[in-house]
Formats: sequence, structure tokens, C-alpha cells
Amino acid sequence: MDESITFLHSSDWQLGMMRRFLGPDGQARWGQARLDAVARIGEVAERTGAAFVVVTGDVFEHNQVERQTILRACEALKRIPVPVVLLPGNHDALEPGSLWTSSQWLAHAPEHVTVLTETTPFQIVPGVELVGAPWRSRRPLSDPAAPGYADLTADPKTTRILLAHGQLTSLSGGMSDVPTIDQAALEAAVADGRLQYVGLGDRHSTTRVTDRIWFSGTQEVTSPEEDAPGNVLKVTIGSGGIDVEPIRVGAWHMVDHRVDLFDEESITALEDWFAELPDKERTYVRLAGDGSLSLPLLARLDTIIDAQGEVFASVERWVKFWTVRPAPDAADLESLQLSGPARAAMEELRQALAGGDEGAGAALSLMHRLARDAG
Amino acid sequence: MRLHSLALRDFRGVKDRIVRFRALGTTVVVGDNEVGKSSLVEAFGLIFDLPDDSKSTRIRGIQPVGQDVGPEVTVELSLAGRELTYAKRWLKNRSTELSIVEPDGRRQSWTGREAHNEAERLFHENVDPVLWQTLMVSQGQSLVLPTPADAEPLITAVTAESGTPVDGASMPLVTAVEHEFQRYWTPRGKPTGDFARSAKAVSAAELAAAQALQAMEEVQSDIRRAERLNLDLADVAGRLAEHLTGVEELRERKQATDEILLRRDSVRSRAETARARLENHTRTRLERERLLDEVQRFTKTEAELAARRADAELVAKTAAEMVQAAEATLAEVVELKDLRRTDVQIAERRVSDLMDRAELDRLVGQQTELVDVRARIAAAGTILDRIKVDDALVAALEEARAAVVEARAALAAGVPEVSVRRLGAEPVELSGTGLEGNVPSELGFDESTEVLVSGELVVGVPGQVEVTVRAGGDAAALRSRVDDAVRREKDLLKKAGVKDVAAARELLRKADTASAELNEARRTEKSLTAGGDPGERIAVLTARLGADEETEDAGKETAVEGVPGQMSLFEEFASPHDTLFDDFDVPEPEPDDLSGAQRVLEEARSGLADAERLLTDAEFAAAQARKAADEDRSEAQNARARSELAGERLAAAVEALESARSVLDDEAVAVAETEATAEVEAVLEELTAVQEQADEAGADQVAGELTHALAVATRLQGERDNLRDALRTTEGRLEQSGRDGLATRRDVAELELAAVRTEHDSLLRRAEAARRVHETLSRHRAEAQTKYSEPLQSRIEALGRSVYGPSFRVWLDDDLAVAERELDGVRLPVEALSTGAQEQLAIITRLAISHLVSTGEGSVPVIFDDALGWSDKARLRDMGALLGRAGDHGQVIILTCMPDRYEYVPKATFIKLDG
Repeated sequence: MDESITFLHSSDWQLGMMRRFLGPDGQARWGQARLDAVARIGEVAERTGAAFVVVTGDVFEHNQVERQTILRACEALKRIPVPVVLLPGNHDALEPGSLWTSSQWLAHAPEHVTVLTETTPFQIVPGVELVGAPWRSRRPLSDPAAPGYADLTADPKTTRILLAHGQLTSLSGGMSDVPTIDQAALEAAVADGRLQYVGLGDRHSTTRVTDRIWFSGTQEVTSPEEDAPGNVLKVTIGSGGIDVEPIRVGAWHMVDHRVDLFDEESITALEDWFAELPDKERTYVRLAGDGSLSLPLLARLDTIIDAQGEVFASVERWVKFWTVRPAPDAADLESLQLSGPARAAMEELRQALAGGDEGAGAALSLMHRLARDAG
Repeated sequence: MRLHSLALRDFRGVKDRIVRFRALGTTVVVGDNEVGKSSLVEAFGLIFDLPDDSKSTRIRGIQPVGQDVGPEVTVELSLAGRELTYAKRWLKNRSTELSIVEPDGRRQSWTGREAHNEAERLFHENVDPVLWQTLMVSQGQSLVLPTPADAEPLITAVTAESGTPVDGASMPLVTAVEHEFQRYWTPRGKPTGDFARSAKAVSAAELAAAQALQAMEEVQSDIRRAERLNLDLADVAGRLAEHLTGVEELRERKQATDEILLRRDSVRSRAETARARLENHTRTRLERERLLDEVQRFTKTEAELAARRADAELVAKTAAEMVQAAEATLAEVVELKDLRRTDVQIAERRVSDLMDRAELDRLVGQQTELVDVRARIAAAGTILDRIKVDDALVAALEEARAAVVEARAALAAGVPEVSVRRLGAEPVELSGTGLEGNVPSELGFDESTEVLVSGELVVGVPGQVEVTVRAGGDAAALRSRVDDAVRREKDLLKKAGVKDVAAARELLRKADTASAELNEARRTEKSLTAGGDPGERIAVLTARLGADEETEDAGKETAVEGVPGQMSLFEEFASPHDTLFDDFDVPEPEPDDLSGAQRVLEEARSGLADAERLLTDAEFAAAQARKAADEDRSEAQNARARSELAGERLAAAVEALESARSVLDDEAVAVAETEATAEVEAVLEELTAVQEQADEAGADQVAGELTHALAVATRLQGERDNLRDALRTTEGRLEQSGRDGLATRRDVAELELAAVRTEHDSLLRRAEAARRVHETLSRHRAEAQTKYSEPLQSRIEALGRSVYGPSFRVWLDDDLAVAERELDGVRLPVEALSTGAQEQLAIITRLAISHLVSTGEGSVPVIFDDALGWSDKARLRDMGALLGRAGDHGQVIILTCMPDRYEYVPKATFIKLDG
């Protein structure tokens, strides 16, 4: 290893993924954004002089994606000017019926793209070997990374990069329902010189495990829960050590936001928060809310959320964490100047709401709005 | 509002009329049909509705037909404290004028469109249209029950009276709630509109998602299947390879043991040959033993069968003799039966002849009687031919006789009767015409005569006097009638050929007698000839008897000739068979009488029957004998055949034995078998030794094991091929599913489902909220409705009880319309009431409404155009009183062509309209 080598590490493109909370228009734009991010990886490769690009698993969302997705993926790959090595992950495992062995892929895959279907070391450039551990089934029976480096011995003249996919035992918290990657074994392989870098996939957030073991994260955000999505890793390995730099290629944002709504001031604060967010048309907001509002303020809140839903890619109440209740006060009712049966009906609904009748809240809000509009 | 006057000019058929109403009280406007009562109501509506330049067809319709004039209406009324005079003319010389006297006495006037607009504004601001329409009952609408719920003056009144706030101000909200409810729900609570469509969209999306998911599950299933197949294939391939190694080892072992097996096969072959030779010698010995046994056995059998044959032939001979005897007896009986039949035929012929003779005698007597009868017929016919009188002619004669007597009596009564007596010596001569009676031409002395004179009578004494008496009057007619009667009688007597009626009657009696005789004779003749002409039958019988006699004579001759032969034959048979001919006697001479002949015939027939019974018995006995003889003969033939066959077989057996011995004698046969046995034993010993060698080497097992191993290899190869095929098929499906993008389809379907579910959940929340609001508000409104309907209900019941009595009650619906009525404890929906009761209830309700609103500013007149057409006299009295009381509180205007319906309305003002 007299010279350093620079390459890009990405994973979890999951092309063909759909997000139900985005709606048809948002879905179409977001899907295109994920391809655009792939193209930007090509720009980063060109800009950084990367010798090649590795994608550690889940290039596609499924093995059975539609033809259009495959063809557009091939087009996006063509925009990466250096060799690209793809690793089958759990979403696009090398199982029977795999996309990678399909005529659709084989007929359109660009020539500079290689799919690692074996664990045999593959020399990508002189002095650099890639060893892959492709998923052959969605239900592996053991550590999915182990087959990639189990039989290796240290070679001082060769830089070995392991491409693997799966959750680390240390990060899964024991919740994974498939076998996980033994982090200690990996670190041992790195320590004894069998591996110089381990590129992992499956975790969508860019994550440093050790200096030489990284999850690149997805190229474009897929969920508000992700910490640091939308990056590609520029990896430089040389005699002096290793340098890993996340470079942002994603353009979208998915945000969770929690608000407490009790008065007009809190409503205004929410409006300000919306106003300050950038890239609204490429941002999905999931609101968690608690509190109680008078009927006019509740109506105003509905109006705000409806309006922001038109501006943002999507704004939705997080049903699981949305507990904003109407709290009609006497002034609400008096302001409507109702009398007779109408007043009695509204009073009945108000009392039902106070007694915990959730349905009465919606009815009361509606009646308030109708009375206000009719008045 | 109070209506004071209404003036019409050139309005439909009204040329010029003004009607003034009582401001408070009841005004009854009376007029015949077509006189223009309804035009008053119409005019009031038009003046407020249409400006004077209106082109409405309603205006064209009020212009008098054929007159180029402008219809004109002027109305005076009080409205919200103002006094209005409002006049309008359409079409020709259009004009509108409005003058108002304000409550403070100020006067204002408008003309043209301004006048119209101001009047319209005032009317609409102060007159509630619902109340106005409710209390103005057009012609033909008196049965319609009012629904006044939306009449603001009424709501104000009932609110004030009931103390319950009627939510008039909330009506827009009510409408909005109703509208919101209807956006999502049908009146029956079923989803509708976008809400219903979203539910359907969710269902469709769920189905599509489920189908897409199922397709993907099938893909997953195929993937698992392919994985299993791969594992199985690897397993089978491994086992096959391992197994083929074992097969090769078995092949090598088999090559080593094949030499021992070849040697064993050679010894086995020799053993087989020796065993075959031994079997051959054994067979020869056994065959020789068999031949010896056969000769011995056949010799014994042949002797037994020869004895049986002799016995059988003896029996058959005896039976043949018995058959001959039976057949001889049968022949005799046949002959006897023929004789008996001949006797019967002879006796039958004799009886027939005797019967013919008796018949001939009877026919001869019958023919004699027939000749006599025919003579009587001829005599009676002669008498009848001569007599010309019949019943009709006698009746005519009797009638003519009576006519003569009657005519003469009339003549005697109608003509002078002259008595002439000769008193002196001078002759008195009588002459004349038309004289009746025995009129002598001259009277003798003291002779007198009486003459009826129908013509003239001349009595003369020659030379002295001559008196002429002439009949006058009808004498001539009477005379003529007498003459006609006499002439008719004479003509009839002449026709009858008699001199008088008595003679005619006598002739008639004779004719009747002859006719009876004739009829009786003809009946007798018919009776005698009923069976045909006796003469013909006599001729036939005579001819037949003659022929029979000839035949009989000839037969007698033949019989005489044949008797000796027959007798000798009979005797020949009778002698050996006495029992057969015991009752066979020599025929007796033929009797001459019929009964004797018949007795002979019966005896002959009895003899024939006996002979036939004998024949049947003899035939049966002969048949039995023949059958027994046949069986015995057959038995004898069989015995002979079996005996001959035994002889043949014995000869053959002897010949075969001799032939075998000529080849090899009995001792040589035994020696050859012993030598062959020894050879077999030696070869078998050698074979046992070789087999022991093979067993030690496991030669037989190796071959079996190799065969089995090859079979297993074939099975494993088949199994492997099947797995490969199944894997290829599954992978083909997976390749196709990849091409189809099934996962993307599933994701798209789930995306679509999520989108429509989100939309539907949102709509559902809104729909549930709308339903909750609607239900809550409706319930509160219904409760309020119940409260504020009470004032109107109590008014209606108060008025109704003055008509129907204290049991009258009503219930109102949400529209404040009367829904049910109770009377004397019977509660009925208004639709079930009689027409009269419905109309009365409608009037009472309107008067109650009028009463309720009468104190408010929004009161309007109650107008009835032609009502109470279905009420009886008693009801008219009560309703009239009610209308009168209604006038105490407000303005009531009644238009009618039947003023007597309202004669009981107290204090009413009647205005008569003339045509």
C-alpha cells in the first residue's frame, strides 16, 4: 500500500420504494429525488477523484420492482463515471427470482457496473480487492458478513475492502429477527490486517462504528426517524491511515415535530416554525401534538395545517401522538348568539365533550363553524 | 293587514265594481258563478305582484275578451298602521298610483314604478307570505290542511304565548346543519355523495391491495419453494454421487464371482439333463404298469357288460310284444266307435224325417184355412165396393134433412096459411105457385084443405069466383131457402144411392160389418203366411220326403247287403273282447213315431260316447306300452354299445401292451430306471459342491445388490430430474413476476389504499360529526316544537269543541299541521276523516291561526273562496257560529255562490254581486 486509494461508499438506495404519507405527487417527486441523489454520487466521484463506488446492499426496494425502476436505475448508474460495485442485500437478495439474475437487469446493466454474487475476492483496481458477502436469501442462517472474510489471510500488498449488509449485533439491541453481524469479529479482522475497510449497509443513517467500519446510510432520506441520511462516504485509504468523509447528496427532509397547543401564542409559534423550514416542497412533516384549544383556535389550527399541507410535500398529524382537544368556553357560545334549540344542542355537546366524549368534540367544532358561517 | 275595499274595472267579465269589506268582522260576498268573485282575490294578488308594464300572460288573461281596454284595480287597505290607496291599470293607459296616510296623518304619494316598488316593499315587509298563503283559501283548496310552521307571525305569537323561544334566528344554522348532514347522509342515514364514493373507493382499493398482496405472497412462496428445491437438489445430487460410487464397487465384485457362477451353471445343466433322463425312464416304467393294469381292468369290464346286454335285450323283446297287443285292442275299439257313429247318423235321419212329416201335415191344414180366409176377404171386398155411403156422407144427409125441416118451419111461420073448404056443390079448383102442402087441384064436397102460400094461390069456382092469394114480404126468400134445402137433400140421396137417411144409415152399418170382417180375415191371412207361403214349404217338404224315402229305401238295400259282412266282423272282434261289446245290441227296427225315433237317437248317442271313452283308454294304454318299449329298446341298445366298446378298448389295451413289450420288455424297463437314478445322484453331489463355493464368495448376493443399486441410482436420477424441472418452473414464474413488477404493484396498491383510506377517514370524521350535530339539534328542535305548538293546538281544540263537543282533541306535527284528530275517544289520522270533517278541520285551523296572530302586527284577513260545500245543516250552523266569532278578532272574507251555507254566521255583512 504505497499509494492511497479513494472510493465512495453508499448503500440502501432502495429504488422503487414508496411512502404512503407523501401522496401521489410527493411520491413521484421523492422517487425521482432518490435517482437524482444517485446521479449526484457520480458528480461527487468525479469531483473527488474516486476510483470506484461501492453500494453495500439494498440497491432496489424489491426483487420484483417494475421495469421502469430498473431502467431508470441503469440510467442513473450510467451517470457515475467510475466502476460501480453493487452488493445484493436483504431487499434485493440473490435468491431465486432475484432481480440480479433477471433478463431485465442483465440486458440493461451498464458495463461498468459489477454485482458481487460470490465471496471470492474481486480486484477492482490493482492492489485493491473487494470481498463481498451477498445475501442469498432474506433469511440467512448466520452472520451475513462472515462468508466474505472467513477464509482470508492478511496480505500486506493488498487493500481489502469488505462489502456487507446487515445490522450489527451491537446496534440492533437484540431486536433483529435475522442473524446480525458480529462486530467484534469484524474489528478483529480489521485489527489483524485482513481487512482495511468494512463498508456496511442496511442502516439508513450515516454511522461510524469504528474508523474503518462504517454504515454509509441511504443517499436520500426515507423516514423521519433517520438521524443522518442523505450522505455518501468518501473513503480514502492510504499508508497513513484512513479518512472517511460524509458528503451530502440528498435533497429531501423528513421531520418529526412536537408541539403543545393551548393558546393563540402556541398556534402562532407553530406557524413561525413552519415558516422557517427550508425546502418546504421537499419536506415531509409529521406533527405530534398535545393540548386543548378553544373552538376558534382549533378551527384556525385546522386551517393552518391544511394550508401547510399544500406548501410542504406533506404535513400530517401523527395519529399516535396527536391529542389536541377542543375546549369550548362560554365565550365561544355567546359569540354565536344562539338561542332556543340550537343553543341547547350546542350546550349538550359541550357537556358531552367535557365528559370525555371524543365524538362530541368534532361535532361541536362543526356546529361552531356552521353557526359562525350561518351567522 | 286589513282590506277595506277592492275596485275592479274592465277586469275579466267585470265592467266596473267596487266591494267594501268590514275591517273587523265577517263579510260574505255572494254572487253566482262567473260573476267575478274569484277575480277579487286574483286582482289583489296581481296589483302587488306585477307592475303596470308587465307582459305577463296573467295580465293578458284578465283583459276582457274582444275589448281593447286596460284592466284596472284599486285597493284600499290598512298596513302596519298606514292607510293605503293603491290603484293600477295595465295594458291600455297604464298607470300606478299609491297614496299613503301615515299613522301621524302625513300623506305621501307615488306614481309609476316607484309606486309599485313602494307598495311591494310595504307588502313584503309587513305581510308574511307563508301566513298570507295559509289564510287565503283559493277556490277548490278548502280541503287542504294548512302547514304554517314557517309563518313568522305565528311563530312570534306562539313563542310569546308559550314562553318557549322559537329558534327563528337560528334557522340559517338549522338549514346549514341540514345541508351539512345531507352532504354525507341520505334521509335514511345511508352514506351518500363523496362519503359514499370514498367508502366504495376504499373497498375497491382494499380489493386491489389484497390481490396485489396475494400475488406477492405467491412470489414469496415461490422463492421459499425454489430455496427448498435448491436444497433438496443439492441433497439428492450428493446422495446420487455417493451411490454411484457404491455401484462401481459392486460391479467389480460381480466380475470376480461370475466364473464360479458359470461353472455352477454348467453342472446345473448336466444335472438337468440327468434328471430329464431319469424322468424319461420313470415315465416308461409307469406307462408299462399302466398298460398292464388297463388290460386287466378292461377284461373284467367287458365280461360284466356282456351280461347286462343279454338282460336288456330280453326285456326289450317282451315290451315289443306288449305293444303289439295294445295296438290290436286299439284297432278294435276304433272300429267299434265307427259303428256307433253310423247308428247315431241313422237315428238322426229318422228323427228328421218324422219331424218333416209332422210339419207337412200342419202346413196342409194351414193352407186349407188360408184358402177359406182369402174367400172371406174377397166377399167383404165386394160388399164394400158396392156401398158408396160413408160416415161423412151420412152426416151431410142428416144435416141436409135438418136444413129442410128448418126451412119449412120458417116458411110456415112466414107465409099465409089458407084454409079452403067446399061447402057447396060447385067445384072448387085450386091452383097456383109456391104452395106448400098437399094441395088438391079440386076439392070434393065438404072437403077442406090448408095451404101455405109462398107464391100465389088461386081458388076458383069456375064461373063464379076466383080468389087469388099472394104471399108478400119474405115469402119468396123463405120459399127459395126451402127449395135449396130440398134440392141439396136430393142431391146427397142420389149420391148415396138411397131414398132417405135411414137407408143410408143401414148401408153404413153394413159397410162397417164388412170392413170388420175384411180386417179380421186379413189378420188371419197374415198370421197364416207369417212363416212364408205354406204352399212353397209343402212343396219343399214333399220333395225332401220323397227323396228321403228313396234314399232310405236305397240305404235299406245297402244295409241289407252289408249286414252279413258287418256282423261277421263284429263277431270276430267280439269273441276275444267280450267286455268291450257287452252293451252293444243289435239295432232295433226303426220306430214310426217321433218320440220313439228320438229315444233310439239318444241311445245311439250314448253308445257312441261309450265307444269314444273306450277308444281314449285304449289309445292311452297303447301309448304307455309304446313308451315302455322304446325305453327298454334304448336300454338294450345302450347295453349293446357299451359291451362292444369295452371289447374294443380291451383289444386296444392288449395291442398297446404287446407293442410296448416288443420295444423293451418289462425287466429292461426296470434296469434302465435304476441306472438313471444313480447318474442323477452323482451330478447333484457335484452341484452342491460348486454351490458351496458360490455361497462362500457371495456370488448370488452381489448380482442382486448390483441390480438393486442400479434401481436406486435410476430413482435418484429421476428424483434429481424432477427437482430440476420443478426448480426451472418455479424460477420461470419468479422471472415472470419480476418482469411484472409485482412488488411495485403491491406498493402502488397499498399507497392508493392508504390515500383513499385517509380521505375516507377524514370524510368519516366529518360525516359522524355532521350526524351528531344533526341528531342533537333535531332532537332539541323537536322538543321545542312540541312546546310551542301547544298554543295553536289549544286554540284549535277550543274552536273545535264548539262544533264537535268536549271530546274533540288534535295533535300537530313538526310543521304545526294537524296530524290526528280524536273525537269521542276515537283517534284517527286526518287522512282517514270524511271530506266534510277534513274541510271543517282546515277551516277551524285557519281560524285558530288567525286568532293567534290577530293581536300582532302581522295579522292578515282570512279569506275563503267557496267553502263548506261538504257540511250538513247542523254543521253549517255550528261552523257559521264559529265564523261569526272569528270576526270578533279579525277580518274574515267569504266568497260564495251559496249564501244559505252562511246564513248562520252572526253579524255577517252580505254583499250581493250582480252579473
